Amino acid sequence: MAKVSPLAFGTALGIALLVSITIAVTIGPADIRFDEVWRSIGSHLGIGVSPLTELRDGIVWQLRLPRVLTAAAVGAGLALSGAVMQAITRNPLADPYLLGLSSGAALGAVSVIVLGAAVLLPFAAFAGALLALTLTLLLAGSLGAITPSRTVLAGIAVSALASAVTSFVIFWSVDGDSYREVLSWLLGSLSGARWPAVGITMVAIIVIGVPVMLTGRLLDSFAFGDVQAASLGVNVSATRWGLLAASALVTGAMVSVSGSIGFVGLILPHAVRLLVGPGNRALLPLSALLGAVFLVWADTLARTLFDPREIPVGIVTAMIGAPIFAFLLTRRKSST
Amino acid sequence: MSDDTGLVAERIRVTIDGTLLIDNVDCTVARGSLSALVGPNGAGKSTLLRALTAVQAPASGTVTFGNADLLGMPRRQRARLAAFVEQDATTDSSLTVDMVVKLGRLPHQSLWEADSPESAAVVTASLETVEMTAFREREFQSLSGGEKQRVMLARALAQEPQLLTLDEPTNHLDIAAQLAVLELLSSLRTTGVTVLAALHDLSLAASYCDHIIVLSHGRVVAAGATETVLTEQLIADVYGVTASILRNPVTGKPVIGFSPA
Repeated sequence: MAKVSPLAFGTALGIALLVSITIAVTIGPADIRFDEVWRSIGSHLGIGVSPLTELRDGIVWQLRLPRVLTAAAVGAGLALSGAVMQAITRNPLADPYLLGLSSGAALGAVSVIVLGAAVLLPFAAFAGALLALTLTLLLAGSLGAITPSRTVLAGIAVSALASAVTSFVIFWSVDGDSYREVLSWLLGSLSGARWPAVGITMVAIIVIGVPVMLTGRLLDSFAFGDVQAASLGVNVSATRWGLLAASALVTGAMVSVSGSIGFVGLILPHAVRLLVGPGNRALLPLSALLGAVFLVWADTLARTLFDPREIPVGIVTAMIGAPIFAFLLTRRKSST
Repeated sequence: MSDDTGLVAERIRVTIDGTLLIDNVDCTVARGSLSALVGPNGAGKSTLLRALTAVQAPASGTVTFGNADLLGMPRRQRARLAAFVEQDATTDSSLTVDMVVKLGRLPHQSLWEADSPESAAVVTASLETVEMTAFREREFQSLSGGEKQRVMLARALAQEPQLLTLDEPTNHLDIAAQLAVLELLSSLRTTGVTVLAALHDLSLAASYCDHIIVLSHGRVVAAGATETVLTEQLIADVYGVTASILRNPVTGKPVIGFSPA
């Protein structure tokens, strides 16, 4: 099959991301034009004067832009984590959501918020993600050889438990609008994303995500399993656990601002693989870029589709992702 | 000892989950030779091969190649010196033949650098050696067993190793493909690569290999030149069958016939 050149695809995605971010900021109840978005952003970066009134400028700079940038970062982080987990576990169904990391991270995040230690939010989410991943792998291992299907089954069990405990903690401690709160953690929502969320997610992408993106060659060596990777001079256990921990860290940072958004980590790496082939050197950065574009649009749909009501973005990603997940399962029926 | 020393393993012990699988094995493989590691199922052939290249490090013992400490050296350096082809390697990935062979360049490359022209030349040469150049853009999974084994061999050659170990490289292959693999291994002698292959087929081992190491119950029971080691008596002792060593009327090479003991 003719594949797309990774460089051309990457360039196209980079442009698409910039355009998507700008368009997404223009969309919403207050009508703001494309050029006004850039001039408003410019004015906050010290270039020129904003053409907008203070109120409309606030909509761009205080509400929409941080939300759209957070969507881009979360999409990139989840897709990257999914691609890394799929390669390192040789499991095409691996994904932070299906393997329980996202629910674990949400539980960690909710717990510290309830305890009033929100400063620890990303760290608690990371600890939750790592704990959930460890539980999933232990459970899958106790069922026999770790196969993709067993891992997903174990992930569902861990995910269900973590989600139940998260809901319990919220119902126990939050007065009033607890249903909305529960839903935004379990289904994922970016409605609360402001500049601090941009900070947390961007730092995670730059500090952990970018180095992880450069490990494609190492991940390729796992294509034939641990023995071959070891014979090629790869430190198998350090690489595996290091990269799984990095995935948990990225997932934790993303979930701490967005709740657990499903299917982004699962389907986007598969889409990229179809287009450019299985090599992880191109797959990792391209998955991150496509994930960013995808979640920017998914979140734009989530906040405008039923305007003025907003739905959690996780519903949009599940509507798109679940049928694709089903398709992947049927394609694998021989080997699971 | 000169630097021409081949593979020297001493007092190798391997235990897995508390079971002693390799019990104090000493063995040598002469540099530039093609040697076979034979023995019944469960004798520990795979375990020993993995231990020798530190893919699964032994509990104790030393392994040197050309007097360099194989077990003690950094992994990447070891992967430039010694390559290992495992038995029946499979993948779920849709890697092309070219990408699989390029994996062999991993110990020579940093993670970030692009493929150098030298690296590309080695990959091309490795594919030519195994006569798989025409399959370069094909998907690995779409190949036949014999073709896959040749690609895995090219991947190992792309590491530019001085020592090549293979676990049952003829497993599940038809006769023509088995001979093709052994002809290839045999031809590597001219390049100075030392080859050690675990083999089930004693006739193939006897026809192609200079030396034979016989493993039984985790111990070396015989080792040396093929003609002297592989006797009817030894086969009877190790495999519990009656063997008749004949001559192939065409090639003059040994052929072994078996009957129940």
